[in-house]
Amino acid sequence: MAAMVALILFGLGILVLVIRRDLVIKLLALGLVNAASILFLVSIGDRPGARAPIQLPGEAAILVDPLPQALVLSAIVVNFAILALALVFVMILVERYHTTDSNRVEQEMARESDEEETPCL
Amino acid sequence: MPLILLPLLRFAFAFLTITFARARKLLTIISHLIDAILLSQLVLSLVRGAPELITVGGAPAGIGISLIGDQIGLTFAVLAWILSVAVSAYTWQDRLRPYFFLLLNLLIGACYALSFTVDLFNAYLLFELSTLVSFLLVGYQRQPRQIWASLHYLVLSSLGMSMFLLGIGVVYAHCGSLDLAELKTLISASAGEPWMLLAGSLLVVGIAVKAGIFIFSLWLPSAHARAMPAVSALLSGLVIKMGVVGLFRLAAVFPIDLPLIVLGAITGILGIIYALKSYDIKRLLAFHTLSQIGYILIGFGAHTDVARLGALSYEVAHGLFKALLFLTIGEAAARAGGSDLKTLIENKRDIPRGTRIALIIAVLGIIGLPPLAGFDAKAILEDGLPTTVLRLIMLLISIGTVMSFAKLTPVLLSRSTCRANRSRILSYAWLGAGIILFWPLSLLLVSPAINLHALSVPHIVEALAVIAGGGLLYALTRKKQFRLPDGIFHLEQSPLVILVGFFLVYVLIVLGG
Repeated sequence: MAAMVALILFGLGILVLVIRRDLVIKLLALGLVNAASILFLVSIGDRPGARAPIQLPGEAAILVDPLPQALVLSAIVVNFAILALALVFVMILVERYHTTDSNRVEQEMARESDEEETPCL
Repeated sequence: MPLILLPLLRFAFAFLTITFARARKLLTIISHLIDAILLSQLVLSLVRGAPELITVGGAPAGIGISLIGDQIGLTFAVLAWILSVAVSAYTWQDRLRPYFFLLLNLLIGACYALSFTVDLFNAYLLFELSTLVSFLLVGYQRQPRQIWASLHYLVLSSLGMSMFLLGIGVVYAHCGSLDLAELKTLISASAGEPWMLLAGSLLVVGIAVKAGIFIFSLWLPSAHARAMPAVSALLSGLVIKMGVVGLFRLAAVFPIDLPLIVLGAITGILGIIYALKSYDIKRLLAFHTLSQIGYILIGFGAHTDVARLGALSYEVAHGLFKALLFLTIGEAAARAGGSDLKTLIENKRDIPRGTRIALIIAVLGIIGLPPLAGFDAKAILEDGLPTTVLRLIMLLISIGTVMSFAKLTPVLLSRSTCRANRSRILSYAWLGAGIILFWPLSLLLVSPAINLHALSVPHIVEALAVIAGGGLLYALTRKKQFRLPDGIFHLEQSPLVILVGFFLVYVLIVLGG
């Protein structure tokens, strides 16, 4: 069930990534895609009636598979770093071109010739 | 032990160079020497027939993260070392902020670790690390075009890595392990099952976005053309190859020979067509990276021992001459005031003599003049190809390479009025020596019998005929105008193209498996 939700979110994220031209919304969609892949990984470790993977002495409960959860932690951190960096890039571009529309940024960039180009910040 | 020390020491040096910024030059020399010792130790144990194999933390195999110093991994690690030395020499006297060297060391460390890893999730993290560092390196000078190229790179590679993660999920759900050695037995037992086909294509697409394959790496032309020369050299010579090593590792587990061959042919031919029409020389080199990856993929997908050795040697050869091309063209463009062909030809006298000689060697290397690097590796590869169709595709790519580099002839043939600085010359000499001495050096990788066969008369005649034919074709067709669709290199269309590519790979895996 959760795996299906994850796959639907994944497709939705890609759809938004393709059809919207606003850079911030594109990045949000990218975040959705990343989150969907993480949800998928977590849902794999699930078993019916299972609890969090903490083994108490003298108890034999059904536990979820802890490995995907451990993997997901690193993936979340990585995705956070990448999304933060992408937003910084967008901020730099907005300061220069005053727009978050990806088409307009590309047009403005094509209009500037190489000589005029000066570093941002 | 050296398997763990190589990447970890690089990370340590990364933080040392930023803490003790003044001792940067000393630290750089020490780190390269240590790497050389560790690498030679690994090569020795491989030659003795007992490649280093280690599972981190002493956990049982299949649970712990395994690293292996086999032939594939070591070839890539040695290439990483050679290029890192060249880039250090190139930037020796440049006034760059300390954090540039921090990123450089992190990148090399990640590349070492990636060449040795045989664990899918470890590979995922290292891919993310190497690309995260690459984004920062591409945007280092903070020019808006660099930032834009970097953002494009980021969006596509993040999308690719999400698909890779989905693939990891599918594999783990069915096999319960992420160690490639374990997966090999588990997956060969379930050949042709739908989940395996899906997982294989997700993993392949995830890596292909980083590996410089035409329909997936659409970020590559602008990122490699906009970055600083030293950065482009590393990205093109090394970071792309990390994707290729990932594909090589996957090919041992999943039945992806057919996708590799088809993608290789597509990227080889399309890359050349776009290279023919680009007059910005750095962009031309970037398109050539896309097309040369084609040789490597075709060689590896052909699945014969000789062709695989050829693919490995071509990967080293390509690293050498593409890095040299980017470094020399970068300096030439800085002196001439622009990297488009017209500016370069107008100001060709401003290009220093040492740079020009190095550029000539690199161009002769890539077009395959015997007995330089490109020729030798291509000849080995060709000897191993099983069918004539593949040979014809390779021939086409070779002729296209000669045609697109023929544009540079006026830049190569002229006099110089100035000299390059010494550290740059040293860097060029280091890579140039590798290109010229490639044939004797490749004896380390390839057995003498195969290597001698590569230098036989038919191969030499063929290489010379290709160069002559390519030059002639360029002279005949240089006035022809044609337009190529440019939209796929924009952020709007490229994610869609990747999705189409995913279905293509899926179909190919179904057909091939």
